[in-house]
Amino acid sequence: MNETQAHILVIEDAAHIRKFLRISLETHGYAVREARLGSEGLELCAATEPDLVILDLRLPDMDGLRVIPRLREWSQVPIIVLSVRSEETDKVAALDAGANDYVTKPFGISELMARIRAGLRHRREHAEEPKVFEMDGLRVNLPRREVQVDGTSVHLTRKEFRLLLLLIAASGQVLTHQQILREIWGPAHEGSSHYLRVLMGQLRSKLGDEPARPRFIRTEPGVGYRLLTEEP
Amino acid sequence: MAESPNLGIRAFPPPPRMVPSSSPHPTHRPAPPIARRLPDYALAVGVVIVAVGLAFVVVRLLPHANLSLVFLTGVLVVAARAGLGPSLLASGLSLFAYAFIFTLPYHELGVEADSDAATLAFFLIVAAITGHLAVRMHREMQSNRAALARVSKLHEFGARLSSAAHADEVLDALTTHLERSLPGPLVVLLAEGGGTPVPRSCAGVPASPAADEIAVAWANPDRGVSASGGWRFLQLKTNRARLGLVALGAGRLSPEQLELAASLCDQAALALDRIRLVGDLEQARLASETEQLRSALLSSVSHDLRTPLAAIIGSTTSLLEYDQAISPEDRKGLLQSATEEARRLDRYIQNLLDMTRLREGKLVLRRDWVDIRDVVSGAIGRLRGTFDGLHLEVHIAPDIPIVSAQGVLLEQALVNLLDNAARFSPAGGRIEVSTRRAGERVEIEVYDEGPGIPEAERENVFAMFYTLSDTAGSRAEGTGLGLAICRGIAAAHGGGVTAHAGRDGRGTCVRLSLPIIEPD
Repeated sequence: MNETQAHILVIEDAAHIRKFLRISLETHGYAVREARLGSEGLELCAATEPDLVILDLRLPDMDGLRVIPRLREWSQVPIIVLSVRSEETDKVAALDAGANDYVTKPFGISELMARIRAGLRHRREHAEEPKVFEMDGLRVNLPRREVQVDGTSVHLTRKEFRLLLLLIAASGQVLTHQQILREIWGPAHEGSSHYLRVLMGQLRSKLGDEPARPRFIRTEPGVGYRLLTEEP
Repeated sequence: MAESPNLGIRAFPPPPRMVPSSSPHPTHRPAPPIARRLPDYALAVGVVIVAVGLAFVVVRLLPHANLSLVFLTGVLVVAARAGLGPSLLASGLSLFAYAFIFTLPYHELGVEADSDAATLAFFLIVAAITGHLAVRMHREMQSNRAALARVSKLHEFGARLSSAAHADEVLDALTTHLERSLPGPLVVLLAEGGGTPVPRSCAGVPASPAADEIAVAWANPDRGVSASGGWRFLQLKTNRARLGLVALGAGRLSPEQLELAASLCDQAALALDRIRLVGDLEQARLASETEQLRSALLSSVSHDLRTPLAAIIGSTTSLLEYDQAISPEDRKGLLQSATEEARRLDRYIQNLLDMTRLREGKLVLRRDWVDIRDVVSGAIGRLRGTFDGLHLEVHIAPDIPIVSAQGVLLEQALVNLLDNAARFSPAGGRIEVSTRRAGERVEIEVYDEGPGIPEAERENVFAMFYTLSDTAGSRAEGTGLGLAICRGIAAAHGGGVTAHAGRDGRGTCVRLSLPIIEPD
């Protein structure tokens, strides 16, 4: 993989979690820096400009949710949130505050690695702006607005195509309902999630995607949607 | 006046409701039979004889005195003491004696002087009026006395009820008071959970009313006082609820007795209702506490239990996934992490169990002689890894005595204190454990350099489920159980836990103190 020496900053107060994260990430060839406190993490981030931040929401000195906007004031570094909270509201709050993705504790290491890869790719692709997107039978020609599933052309309405574009742009990272609604219908419709459900239903049926056994788009219950760029 | 034969018919008046006990009903008690009033009539005769004797004396000493006044006085005395009948008798006798003995012609019944004739006529009138007045006064006195007795009974009853904390006490009070004020057997029945009332207490009764009688009485509450078979039923009810019935077995009861019984029942019903309400409230409080406990457990599961789980799963999946790619030291490190975190998990579970036992009061101490040094080192050992990046100092006074305690529990209490200290410490912060003898107690103090606890909160933190609200933006919340358990354990040992300001007013000092028990 071409991700060698990507710098990852881990902001996490639990020593044992820091330890396995460091070992696993270093095994993957990432360079790891660790911070136990939110304030420490912000300083390290400013000093070292990491390629990705793994942030625990529960820190001794400050709420992890408050770290995100302070980081976003000057940095677009991808942030993956670690949360022991099973409540969707916390995940949504973190994502809305500017985090790119989340992993719920406890998690297997491969799940986190997939998120990290998606986050790093997202950062890279932002720089490159690819013209054609391809994944597991889905091919999208972005400038020509052509969509093919397993070689067959699929006609999408303008809104459906914009929804697909959003998911591709997020490149495997979760998008909250609010983020999608804001992008497609405007800020006034952030509460109208039924629009989104209907549109998502249309897009999925045109792509031949079953919500129960998703091939392309996975529902994150209570949070939003994610394009399955790779198996977690 | 004859004995009133209509008492039986008047036994079922409209239901007497709460009658203010201070206003006695006008009573229309039938006059007692003459036989019972014989002494009164004897009094009348006696008084007249005395009056005659007195008149003889007066006539000797003061020949011109109006003797009729002597007799009149006698009649008044009789009227006041004995009522209308005897006073009429006295006036008749006085009339006779006066006319026969003291008026001209002497020793005949003729009356000569006009004034004497008038006097005699007035005898009768005065006797009738005063007799009537006296009777009324008498009756009022009697009814006042009865009312007073009733009021004092009700008062005594009320006092008993107001101090009653349990339905049984109310039933006891009701039964004894009814028994004292009414003739005949009685049964108090209570309805539990909306069903037909069942007998709960009784007095002077070999059998209770039949079930169908009870059912009928219960089904017809509007009748208030109802009768079926040999029983008379009174309702135990408030405006809020119907609580039960009182069955009275006496065949005949006066309206006053029924009224008294009804007021007793009403008061008892109020007291029962109050007790029931208090019980409901207590139950609601318990339910909400249970609810709180449950939500605390849930949040504990999602926070405190998942963090070690995250480390365990993370470490083991790392090992599984990257096995050979990881250096041997790191592999060992991951395995150590997993083990330590599994132990931490065990600690949390132990905490939850301890808390449950403490809460239910089922914690039975198995005391033994314990060296504080072992407790401290045991607690620190269990917390390995927690103090990474922190400075831990331990000071144990050389003269520290051994204590009588359950070592495991004491260690748990100290683990909770140290865990808190570490949780709230800043990076590089100093944690100090200091134990010393203070008089008849051993004190174990844990200092940290964290944000500290505001003075107003220092007692609250020991309450179950209490967590400091958002100290300095920190979300390092716990279950709110650790300190509560700590206090529970200390209390079980006859000791206590208090929170204070740390060294130089910075941070927190939590002091656990235990009484020193000398070995035999």
